[in-house]
Amino acid sequence: MAAGALSRDVEAGGLGAWVRARPLVVGVVAVVLLVVTLILGVGLGSVRVAPAETIAVILSRVFGIDIGVTITPATEAIVWDLRLPRVLTAMLIGCGLAVAGTTFQGLLRNPLADPYVLGTASGAAVGAAIAVLLPIQLVVVEFGLLHGLAFVGALASAWLVFRLGGMGGAGGLTRLLLTGYAVGSVLAAVLTMAMYVSGAELRQIFSFLLGGLGGSSWVRLIVAAPLIIGSSVLIMARGRSLDGMLLGDAAAGHLGIDVSRERGILLALASMATAAAVAISGLIGFVGLVVPHVVRLLVGPAAHRVLPISAIAGAALLSAADLGARLVGDVPVGVVMALLGAPFFLFLLNRSRSGYQL
Amino acid sequence: MSSADRRRGVALLSVLLAAILGACSSGSASSPAASVPVVAAPSGSDAAASPTPSPTPAFPVTVTDDEGTSVELAAEPKKIVSLTPATTEILFALGAGDRIVATDDGSDHPEQAVALPDVATFSSVDVEKVVALSPDLVVAGGLGFTPAESITKLRDLKIPVVVIYAPSVEGVLKDIELLGTATGTSADAASITSAMRADMDAVAAAVATKSPKPRVFYDVGYDDTTGAIYAPADDSFLAEMVTMAGGDAITSGDPNTYEIPLEKLIEKDPQLIVLGTNPFYSPTPDAVAKRRGWDAFSAVRSGAIKPVNDIEITRPGPRLPMGLRTLAAAIWPDVTLPSPS
Repeated sequence: MAAGALSRDVEAGGLGAWVRARPLVVGVVAVVLLVVTLILGVGLGSVRVAPAETIAVILSRVFGIDIGVTITPATEAIVWDLRLPRVLTAMLIGCGLAVAGTTFQGLLRNPLADPYVLGTASGAAVGAAIAVLLPIQLVVVEFGLLHGLAFVGALASAWLVFRLGGMGGAGGLTRLLLTGYAVGSVLAAVLTMAMYVSGAELRQIFSFLLGGLGGSSWVRLIVAAPLIIGSSVLIMARGRSLDGMLLGDAAAGHLGIDVSRERGILLALASMATAAAVAISGLIGFVGLVVPHVVRLLVGPAAHRVLPISAIAGAALLSAADLGARLVGDVPVGVVMALLGAPFFLFLLNRSRSGYQL
Repeated sequence: MSSADRRRGVALLSVLLAAILGACSSGSASSPAASVPVVAAPSGSDAAASPTPSPTPAFPVTVTDDEGTSVELAAEPKKIVSLTPATTEILFALGAGDRIVATDDGSDHPEQAVALPDVATFSSVDVEKVVALSPDLVVAGGLGFTPAESITKLRDLKIPVVVIYAPSVEGVLKDIELLGTATGTSADAASITSAMRADMDAVAAAVATKSPKPRVFYDVGYDDTTGAIYAPADDSFLAEMVTMAGGDAITSGDPNTYEIPLEKLIEKDPQLIVLGTNPFYSPTPDAVAKRRGWDAFSAVRSGAIKPVNDIEITRPGPRLPMGLRTLAAAIWPDVTLPSPS
């Protein structure tokens, strides 16, 4: 399919140079958007902080430079302890979910796959609900039981789906998807029951399900970052395998790819990125499903291009949506993202002349 | 703040309100007291409530909040943020109202509280705005009323947060004294709580001898779509209020459940429905009588459905005696209640 896209591009040419440069252009635009959301995200919020003060706080904390602008402790706390870790966490989560989404869509050859397709979401939510209901207060360097059990729940459900769904053989993908659905259904039932008996704790479970970045902190960011960035980089390094598998298992085998091994590794890495993201920010939807599609519409399906550009675009989208959510009074970030992102996605989908394929 | 937030708040309100009142006293010690119908005798409880040496307004002071967290206050707080309507009322009653710099959007009493800036909604706290005010005391609500994340974050930034949550009437009085200590107004707190005790005991005494006690269902909320009925939980604050007001309180049957199945309510057969109305929930007695299956209740057949101001009765603050009086008057309309002290 990579080859198909290439020939389509060439036919569409006339603008040959533009077409070939297009992934680069899209990548550069994504990076620019990322930088813009970083600046706006730190500069704006429910409290007005003058740009000079914001810059002064960052310069003094990062480089120890005092540029002679007086900053109050409150301003410093707002910029350095509240906004900056939140913006960076949004970027990290957006990146991780977009990469995981790209990977799951490619591996499962299913356009509706998202990072949660293998029951990860329900597993994490059940873990979080159990943590909320247990009368135990356990905090290890800013990580409570909720984060821990959400992470474990996400990984455990993904592992269970791999084990039950089997990895190879004819019809393997369909079996894996349906196993994910079945395991997810059982977990969703457990979750519903947990919510039903939760009483006053319902609100905590509910806010985990909505997802959000209000709990971001430096410590959480620093712990999650190696997991998410590490998984994403390792996935990108295997872009060629992902491309091969898009052609089908047989074709990939002929290309010399050990299909079942590569699939196992890629699924494990994507699940790791998803679990780490979910543990610190709850269930944030949309970004992992739609960003990979938008990027494919713009640059074609080759994984070695889609993965890095999705990572950057996902980071930019989630941090921009979180900024929007903060500015209108801390509404759930998923709401903002879907309301603004879905129409844009539809627009791109309608505009694409050639039929769109994974 | 936003209308979406507001609507979500309304949708969850009856559930959460009932839950908060539900006295699922996870971690709190003093719920068995709820089975005692009348607040302990004034002399005894006064003695119990004043172990603190009153004339030494000591700062720095360390208070233990309702979640058991020790909070150290270096000096008398000058900039207070109150995140619940009840604590706002308590702080104003203590004379610390002029030190409040911000509240939540539900703080509607007294009048001066309405004009104060809002830094929290029913469902969330704008931590950034709180930090910008550099408060030296934040008073938050327990049992999830103020999101735990926000409390942790404020404490991480070295802002003292006192979490208040009263599982019982006695707990409210303790909270008033706790906030008195935290704001350097313990003398005022002592006189307020002893007046409240005297007042509530007088009302309770006036109806205590009355019998038979009517079976009272305090209607906390109703879902028109599903027919779900919300009732006071067992041993809850609200059940205690109904009992003190001379009623035989119908409860959900569980300390952690605030929903009561229609069948169970029919079996318990309320003789009086007290309709707790507030800005979010204000059905008419007619509408209540027409609810599906409710015509089986004695109360509905005899037309004994009385709307009352839910806020005064359920808000755990200084207006509780007023609420108790309202409730007692609804249950025993013929009894002359002692006038407020």
